[in-house]
Amino acid sequence: MTIRTELKHSWIIMIKEFRQLFRKKALLVPLFLFPIIMIVFFGYGMGGTVKNAPILIVNDDTGTASGPLVQEIGSYTPKYGGNPMFSITYTKDMSQSEAESKIDAGLYKAVLLIPHDYSDRVAKNESTTLTLLTDSSDTTTSGIIINFMKQFLAKAGPVSLNIPKIYGDLEYLDFLTPAVIALTIFFGSVATTGSAIAGEKQDGTIVRILMTPVSKRSVILGKTLYQLILQLARAVILIFAAFAIMGFKMNGSWLLVALVLVIFTLGGVGLGIVMSAIADDMESFFQLNMLFTLPSMFVTGVFFPLSSIPDWMRYIAYLLPLTYANNAMRAIMIKGQGLNAISTDLIILSLFALITFTAGVRLFRREA
Amino acid sequence: MEPIIEVRNLTKIFLSRGKKITAVDDVSFDVFNGEIFGMIGPNGAGKSTIFSMLTTLIKPTGGSIKVAGFDVGKEDDRIRPIIGIVPQKLSLYPDLTARENLELMGNLYDVPKPVMEERIDYYLKLVGLETHADRFTGGFSGGMKQRLSVICAVIHDPEIIFWDEPTTGLDPQTRQAIWKLARKFNGEGKTLIFTTHYMEEADKLSDRVAVMNLGKLVALDAPGILKEKSESANLEDVFIRLTGEEVRD
Repeated sequence: MTIRTELKHSWIIMIKEFRQLFRKKALLVPLFLFPIIMIVFFGYGMGGTVKNAPILIVNDDTGTASGPLVQEIGSYTPKYGGNPMFSITYTKDMSQSEAESKIDAGLYKAVLLIPHDYSDRVAKNESTTLTLLTDSSDTTTSGIIINFMKQFLAKAGPVSLNIPKIYGDLEYLDFLTPAVIALTIFFGSVATTGSAIAGEKQDGTIVRILMTPVSKRSVILGKTLYQLILQLARAVILIFAAFAIMGFKMNGSWLLVALVLVIFTLGGVGLGIVMSAIADDMESFFQLNMLFTLPSMFVTGVFFPLSSIPDWMRYIAYLLPLTYANNAMRAIMIKGQGLNAISTDLIILSLFALITFTAGVRLFRREA
Repeated sequence: MEPIIEVRNLTKIFLSRGKKITAVDDVSFDVFNGEIFGMIGPNGAGKSTIFSMLTTLIKPTGGSIKVAGFDVGKEDDRIRPIIGIVPQKLSLYPDLTARENLELMGNLYDVPKPVMEERIDYYLKLVGLETHADRFTGGFSGGMKQRLSVICAVIHDPEIIFWDEPTTGLDPQTRQAIWKLARKFNGEGKTLIFTTHYMEEADKLSDRVAVMNLGKLVALDAPGILKEKSESANLEDVFIRLTGEEVRD
């Protein structure tokens, strides 16, 4: 066979592949959208700065020296930002424990307490101590705020910072672990459920199963139970690894962690069923899956806090269930909070599970 | 003879891009208990759609089907345990062994374990797969898969076996073996309904043959009578006379 003939055959094959690709609509859209999404989310998401972080300044200073200081903090805009770094709320006469409860409720990322004798001490050129409380469960934002305040106050004269650790001595790993568990469960439940069904559709085995007296509900339930066991086992292994290898400390209830993960897995399985019903084959499924799951990884605050991403991206994050799973997991595992603190997250995750399951059962056809 | 399947005025209309397509158009026939019933027809004749409706996979748009006295669409749960289906796609789990595939089907049909184990050994031997029982089916040849697929469909001892293109793509030896198997099941009193594109197969195997064309039933009789009526030497000539020479999509 001549090179010319071989090239001709290759050309025919290539044209055939393109023809097939352009006929697979469910594959086509995510295939082309995906690189765009990756560029946008990586570009903005990995910025590593903080924008409009809500900060409370409790200014008990009886004089006027603190005025320019708080104004400067409030108007500070980072070099590559565009938006002010903080969104400041001012108040006075608030105790430290009261301020801590505000952070615990998620209202502020940090509280700066300025003592009543600040102006007096500055006037006398005496050293003074400000107290900075931060939401250390969000280690990244907390770290950025602490660094900023330290550098900023160094210029303001003999001022030192007292930084009590509300949630103990936390590191990035503590911030990361709860969300990585949620992420793993989500990726796993969506991908394994969906790809298994898409594969069974492709090779006809699901139709054979549905020809038997087994109802489609039983098929879905069987697959769901399998996923619950599988994903919870994966979570246990992950938590164990975080404990044993990296010394992660758990502050909350295991039962609540399990509850969040079970509800979230149900939602993931439902989403996997919906996607596999839309896709005709494995390839289309995987493209659809990436369209949904990978943005979840980058905008829902798994690796960096939501406060570090632009507003429009944050709105997308609020549409993605992983955001609420991350919130709930961090509230339980780092802050040691109970059912009340995660009730909104649980309601949203339950709704996600309910909607995806209802749609999944409807779309899961007997004739597949 | 007593009918085991009664099809009356069966119609199926699909919607495709806003257009109505009548895949099955007012078809009525009976399948008698214990017979081998063949269905032939060009592509798009409606065989597969009738097959899917008879096996409860899709619901008719109009008309009725009774299988062993039970209404399709209303009593599907009563029908599924008494029918066995050999799909055209071999539909075996490649990462399960032959025995595990059979056990899976047996379990889904609620066959008691001791009975199931006995049947698995019997059927594997019957189709010559006893030495491959514990091999993953992913490595099986087409003929081996087809034989396994057949016994997966009868592991629950159904009264009626639906068989979609039983020998497509098989070598003559496997084809002979499959026909032998079909006759064996029929000899045990099971009713067999199959579709095929092979006229020789329909001729040799069927007690009666239904000829479908463009969604309609155009002839139904014993192969010999069909040939006699149309003064044709073989079933292929009968088929061409009844359905025309035009190539279908």
